[in-house]
Amino acid sequence: MKKLFILITFIFSLSINSQSVLPDISLNTLNGEEINIQSISSNDKIAVVSLWATWCVPCIKELDAISEYYEEWKDEVDFELYAVSTDDSRTIKRVNAMVNGKGWEYTVLLDSNNELQRALGASTIPLTLIVKNNKIVYRHSGYSAGVEFELFDKIKELK
Amino acid sequence: MNRLLLLTVLLFTIVTVSQNTENIFGSFESNSQFLQDDSALNFTSPQDNFRSNNYLQINYNTGNVSSGIQYESYLPNAMLGYYPEYNGKNQIATYFINVKNEKADITLGYFYEQFGNGLIFRAWENRQLGINNAIKGIKLNYAFSESFNLTTIYGQQRNGFELNEATIQGVDSNLNLNKFFNFEELDLSIGASYIGRYQNNSANTLIPANVKSLGARFNLYSGKFSLNFEAIIKDADVIANEGVIQSNKLYDGTALQIDFGYSKKGLGLSSTFRRLENFNFYSDRLAEGNIYNQQTISYTPALTKQQDYLLTNIYVYSAQPRLVINPLENRSGEVGTQTDFYYTFNKNSTLGKYKTKVAVNFSYWAAIESNFNQDESYDVEFIGNGNRYYRDFNLELKNRWNKRFNTTITMLDVIIDKGVALGGPLGIQGDIKAKVGVIEGTYRYDNGKSSRAVIQHLWTKEDRKNWAGLVYEYNFSTSLNVFIADGWNYGSNDKIHYYNIGGSYSKNNTRVSLNYGRQRGGLICVGGVCRYVPENTGINLNLNLVF
Repeated sequence: MKKLFILITFIFSLSINSQSVLPDISLNTLNGEEINIQSISSNDKIAVVSLWATWCVPCIKELDAISEYYEEWKDEVDFELYAVSTDDSRTIKRVNAMVNGKGWEYTVLLDSNNELQRALGASTIPLTLIVKNNKIVYRHSGYSAGVEFELFDKIKELK
Repeated sequence: MNRLLLLTVLLFTIVTVSQNTENIFGSFESNSQFLQDDSALNFTSPQDNFRSNNYLQINYNTGNVSSGIQYESYLPNAMLGYYPEYNGKNQIATYFINVKNEKADITLGYFYEQFGNGLIFRAWENRQLGINNAIKGIKLNYAFSESFNLTTIYGQQRNGFELNEATIQGVDSNLNLNKFFNFEELDLSIGASYIGRYQNNSANTLIPANVKSLGARFNLYSGKFSLNFEAIIKDADVIANEGVIQSNKLYDGTALQIDFGYSKKGLGLSSTFRRLENFNFYSDRLAEGNIYNQQTISYTPALTKQQDYLLTNIYVYSAQPRLVINPLENRSGEVGTQTDFYYTFNKNSTLGKYKTKVAVNFSYWAAIESNFNQDESYDVEFIGNGNRYYRDFNLELKNRWNKRFNTTITMLDVIIDKGVALGGPLGIQGDIKAKVGVIEGTYRYDNGKSSRAVIQHLWTKEDRKNWAGLVYEYNFSTSLNVFIADGWNYGSNDKIHYYNIGGSYSKNNTRVSLNYGRQRGGLICVGGVCRYVPENTGINLNLNLVF
């Protein structure tokens, strides 16, 4: 128990000086095109990265909720949402069907052996990040109704 | 303790020397439980009633070199239902260093990897399931061109904090054919894999020291259509059960998976067929079928819909790829199919003013029809008419009623073999037939406040009879929520309430959740792989920090 406490204190102290950037990882799109995630927010572009899976109910709620406003919001601020599917082989074949069936307009990336998820230390999904010039400026895990508006408020602040 | 100190010093050194061009990041996860006796569940808490699983991962990158270590502690013991090898241990579990340029990518130390869709080989980590089957050794990935790359691996697999004695070698290749054929509307890639295990046979020449799997696959995309195919053959090997080799008789194995997809805006369809005959591969031949999912090389998850509600995940399927020959039961593997269908209605349809969304899922899994002979050999059909293990039908309807209120209605009709659901031999104990209905409503107030309520019911005449369930969750903000939940097994004699109360806080790099209540015994499944958890009562605390 004491060890645990020391460990936690230590980590808190580490987290104060931490830099949060996206790691150098390339992910495939549904068409097999490779995208390096460090490139998605270069030159002041604003990117939202959302880690999800076809079996994750709160993830789908979040992406459904954002999709209702996505076009409208993009007219107001130039940003792009990258929906990074953490589905493994069990469910990865469902990704395309679900994305289209739900009418989502996001760029879908596949993190099928959870390389990005591990690098981001995301033990639970959904995990949503706002990234600009590869710096993570906002991070949120979990979904409750209305998170999408908080997300958009943050995006507007970065404009 | 010494190790911990060493680690701390090491880390501080790294932190102090780090420059701006360098980058340190990592995470800390702690999952603890405090168990208590509960006579209603017949649960007596173990002597070590505080149990805690902790993971500290630190990565350090500079230029094109990246490195990392993971420290794990299971003190005083691992949480209930985890692999007992972890009990009472704490040490550095994995570490790696990776160098890459545009063509080559080399990892030394522990690594994760997946060939094809993972059927033939998958080294991965899932902390909820207690799985970490990383390989320690060397991994080299080389991109000969944009269209062709090769991965080779060599090493030994992690087992608890030790390594298995067997060495694992593998090669995987991917070739994209678009460049060669100048396809326009077509995207075609092919791949081939090899994975081999060398394990000492202690001079018993009847048991093969070398066992390998060979796989081939193609992925085809054409506009709205997709077709994926993967086939694998595995060398003949002995079969083992509960750590004992059954006989010197050898059996080969096969796997076949075909996926078809069609989708356009507003409509998606995907369908899978899979056949697994004596197809599982472990880094130790005696580990076959172990209940903790340890030491696996192949990855054969259940291909059914992942259920997320309190009562829809009582009767869940787990894949049955094994060949089992004994007086109680004879079976050679599973064959079956799953189909998903998604549809989004236009605005103002008969179902609702806003875009109503429908999802349908169907799956059917059965034994491959086989006849077993006196000499422990068997004759097998490609599909045949074997015992049904599982069949389900899911319907989900999502509606938004106005800017603040939305609902989800879910219906599930499931038939599961008693052996699959409750244990014991498969195909001879009869079925459990159940129907589940779930209504979920979410209401959003201003400033991130919201309420979510779920009512559910499960009807069955078998097993523990009917259940009713209720969940209510209140979000004070987008960061803080509390919930109460109850799954009431009112149809059984004991009429047990599986109540839970808790909350979670999530802000920036921190997530904390705390709950108190009763855990229903059964399978906890993530991505089609399941871990058995015994019934228990107590407090659970989860902490996750990212830095």
